[in-house]
Amino acid sequence: MDFTFSPEHVALRRMIREFVENEVVPIAAELDREHKVPYEVMRKLGELGLLGVCFPQEYGGMGAGETGYCILMEELGRVCTSTATNVGAHIGIGAMAIYLDGNEEQKRKYLTPLSRGEKFAAFGLTEPGAGSDAAAIRTRAVREGDSWILDGGKVFITNGGYADVVTVMAVTDPALGARGGVTAFIVETDWEGFSVAREEDKMGIRGTSTAELVFEELRVPHENVLGKVGEGFVTFMKSLDMGRLTLGAACLGGAQAALEWAIRWAKTRKQFGAELAHKQSVQWMIANMATEIEALRSLVYRVAWLVDTGRPFTQLAAMCKMYGSEVASRAIDMTLQIHGGLGLTRDFPIERAFRDARIAEIFEGTNEIQRIVIASNIFREHGVRIRP
Amino acid sequence: MKVIVILGRVLDPRGIVINRRRGRIFVNREEYLLQPADRCALETALRIKDGMGADVTALPRGPLPDDDVLRQALAAGVDRAIYIVGRADSPPYDDAAWTKVVAAAVDRLGGADLVLTGATTLDTGQGQLGPRLAEAMGWPQIVGAWTVEAVDGKVQAVLQTGEDYVAVEADMPAVVTVLPGALKLRYPDGVRLVDIYRGVGEIAAALEQWNVADLMDTEALVPLLERRGQDFPPERERGTRLAGTVEEMAQAAADALRQRLRR
Repeated sequence: MDFTFSPEHVALRRMIREFVENEVVPIAAELDREHKVPYEVMRKLGELGLLGVCFPQEYGGMGAGETGYCILMEELGRVCTSTATNVGAHIGIGAMAIYLDGNEEQKRKYLTPLSRGEKFAAFGLTEPGAGSDAAAIRTRAVREGDSWILDGGKVFITNGGYADVVTVMAVTDPALGARGGVTAFIVETDWEGFSVAREEDKMGIRGTSTAELVFEELRVPHENVLGKVGEGFVTFMKSLDMGRLTLGAACLGGAQAALEWAIRWAKTRKQFGAELAHKQSVQWMIANMATEIEALRSLVYRVAWLVDTGRPFTQLAAMCKMYGSEVASRAIDMTLQIHGGLGLTRDFPIERAFRDARIAEIFEGTNEIQRIVIASNIFREHGVRIRP
Repeated sequence: MKVIVILGRVLDPRGIVINRRRGRIFVNREEYLLQPADRCALETALRIKDGMGADVTALPRGPLPDDDVLRQALAAGVDRAIYIVGRADSPPYDDAAWTKVVAAAVDRLGGADLVLTGATTLDTGQGQLGPRLAEAMGWPQIVGAWTVEAVDGKVQAVLQTGEDYVAVEADMPAVVTVLPGALKLRYPDGVRLVDIYRGVGEIAAALEQWNVADLMDTEALVPLLERRGQDFPPERERGTRLAGTVEEMAQAAADALRQRLRR
């Protein structure tokens, strides 16, 4: 057993840490306040190769594997959840679907510019009537010669407002449902019939674009079918598995930042003649946070190792997302408590972190769905098939 | 044009705690950084390369226990890096002894038009290597430059003396030391970084290892420096509290800042 990072991952973390301290920290509060997407940061990340961190070098990536990608998300999550979310939606689910199930031509055409940040991606699954129940989607795709005609729409699509490429799931055979009747498509957003209907005004991750997409007689060439016709659900579930792991990594960064703020404040703030660090109530909070964060770190990087070595990881990825989001929420809540009234003010980044943390318990499959995934995997090993 | 840049490392000060009362330094995280002034020298070398297509080689500042700073330099864009290892039983090298090693390495590399390194080190505050090397090579030296440019066989630099900036020029080959904070080092290229740390791809061949014993007679390397103990520098002075009207305080603050700039 070896728990050390390889030299390239140590160097990669150092590079990313320096990048986020220089480029992201100065703008994080502004992104939140002004409801702005960090295009410039995304472009620079692309230039350095970081938007293709986990993809092979032949497709414009860096080839640093899932471990490298988790390091990127942890470091981004540590300073700005919005930026981490933009990057996560772009790499982790949008481009990931093309990497996992795209053919050679699709990878050359789409994955390469996505890795270099010349184009941005989004992932189109959720619909008004199909959130946690992803199989209930209504967007229809009908074959017409060499094309498919898409009608319908998607909601809550992260990066939807500015993406150049969206991987969209649509029903191609209503009779078959999720198993065999759903297909994934690569859609370019400048095609006729594609429009952005609105962008959400949100409590947290305000530096992201969460858009409603509308498809009206959107013509998609058959060569843009991602994977096989009828197997879209498999493509999307595989992408979500990867996304869940790295969302857990971003939460790890957020929780780590909360712990660092708490320690710094406990060292300086005096009450009743002594620093908060000497108060047992504060010590216990910090000990709890630190322990949960260590457990999460072990989980995240172990799952990254499972991915990089080609082992099954679905159940553990669900644990990463569920546990990670809850550890982050708890840690940020505790650090806010330690900071008292000041934690609520915009002079500190804690109130932003508090608002930003909440979404992690919801998107990429709610934590309730993650528990179903975990429980069904456990029961399946014991011969019981759980019905949703 | 051939440029050689000499790079060293320093313990990351964020990972250490200094206890003055007990006269000890506690290392919590043993992580090393590229020396801040050497970072600026590296960026200077890379800008000269961008501007006029120089060939840049990195050498280590001192006998380093690993080649990490050289890999960082390769990831950032240097063409070649030579990791120089010493004999395990050799005496500790100081700047005087290491200068001889570097001079021999520069000779082995077939000379250079320009050697760049940091003007000072973050930990010991020494800036001897550059000047000593220039003396050893018999080359002109420019010490503590903000900007460096190579034009028509000459190297031009801007130095700061008190309040003023001074433009100076020297014939190449020359040694120039660069001030910390002069330039911001570019981010490494992701693919080069992964490849050089994995030791794969074309870039892997750009990192070579030489032995001091192959460069020179190691018996000649006698350090001038002897370490007899350690002490802390005096505690840094605290800020001053200003009094008076707003205008008076603003004036006093402006005067103090001007004074500081002059230093």
